[in-house]
Amino acid sequence: MRILIADDEAMSRRLLQKTLERVGYDVIAVEDGRRAADELCKPEGPKLALLDWVMPELDGPGVCREVRKRKEQSYVYMLLLTAKESKEDVVAGLESGADDYLTKPFDPEELKARLRTGIRILDLEDRLIEARENMRFQATHDALTSLWNRGVILELLERELTRSHREGKSTALLLADLDHFKQVNDTYGHLAGDEVLKETARRLLSSVRSYDFVGRYGGEEFLVVLNNCDPAFSLTRAEEIRKAIARQPVPTSGGAIPATMSIGLLISQEWGYRPMEELLHEADSALYAAKGAGRNCVKVARPKGPVKDCNFTEADAIRLRR
Amino acid sequence: MAKAGFDFEELLARVENDRELLRDLLLVFKEEFPLHHEALREAVTRGDAKRVAEEAHSLKGMLSNLSAHESAKAAARLELLARSGESSDFGQLFAEFDRVTSGLLPELEFCLVEESR
Repeated sequence: MRILIADDEAMSRRLLQKTLERVGYDVIAVEDGRRAADELCKPEGPKLALLDWVMPELDGPGVCREVRKRKEQSYVYMLLLTAKESKEDVVAGLESGADDYLTKPFDPEELKARLRTGIRILDLEDRLIEARENMRFQATHDALTSLWNRGVILELLERELTRSHREGKSTALLLADLDHFKQVNDTYGHLAGDEVLKETARRLLSSVRSYDFVGRYGGEEFLVVLNNCDPAFSLTRAEEIRKAIARQPVPTSGGAIPATMSIGLLISQEWGYRPMEELLHEADSALYAAKGAGRNCVKVARPKGPVKDCNFTEADAIRLRR
Repeated sequence: MAKAGFDFEELLARVENDRELLRDLLLVFKEEFPLHHEALREAVTRGDAKRVAEEAHSLKGMLSNLSAHESAKAAARLELLARSGESSDFGQLFAEFDRVTSGLLPELEFCLVEESR
């Protein structure tokens, strides 16, 4: 555990440092409050601090106030070391944001025990953050495949369509559906079906760029958003993705299962600025056409007649989102 | 071990019987104390209450860590007086501080010799 010690007095610093190093702390020792605040405010700074009250540049309570001003970073547990013992001083120290205080000269056992209290609180914070992050992940990802869930992938698609229109670029939208998936479930069982879905997700992710988006749109249907994708190469990219799925059967507990996908591709630049729902409907029609053409192929949604923007604007999109 | 103006047993407990650390602390004190002592003397002579408070505070911390209780108390009295803004008794309190700390360095020297045996 890293700990910061701030004390302008050399003997105190040496005593604290040695006492804490002896029990395994990784000690950073500084001589004034300014340097202490700078160290503690670093994103990867120590999360535990022992601060002398009276110091040059910035005193201990001043350091506490500065550290507490940060909102988003991890909690820092701060213990003030002080020769001040009056109730007013203690209250002022705690009001500044210190978690605890210890009077000097300190007793080594008491010091270590109070720091263990700090570590318990920091551990609790770590566990709470982990739980929050797990919940955040669960709220935004599909439980089986860990891809973006339907709600999030639609939000991402809408954002990308708006952005690509604004920047004069193109987004490729792929609605991809596993062929004969019902038969997979009926023949090999739902467990094997789930394994096919997971492997499909993995193959989709590994065949797109890090800044593209892949989501589970429904049962065996996936939505892939290729950002800033050159219209001339969109079909090639879609074909590569289709081949990545079909290349090898999926190994499952029920045996190797052949898997292919039918894909409806829509290139946003060919459609002008239209509501996302309309584009999704067109991509779905292209997917339906791919199924009708024998499956395991890509069909492109093409607008009928000349391309022009409908009256739909970015402001309309924002209104619809609300 | 000679009887010193500091509580040697308490000091040993504070360093958790780490003789090497004890020696380190004594050496730091031997180097730092005369500097702060002299700075305090000059501040007292000038009647500089702010500086008297700062130096007396530093000395109080060092002496407390060393378990030199009487000396730490004498420094604390000077600090308290200086923080109140009163400077008329600086001379008297500094003389008292001088008196209780005068034997410290020779005693520490003796300790260092004893510790190195």
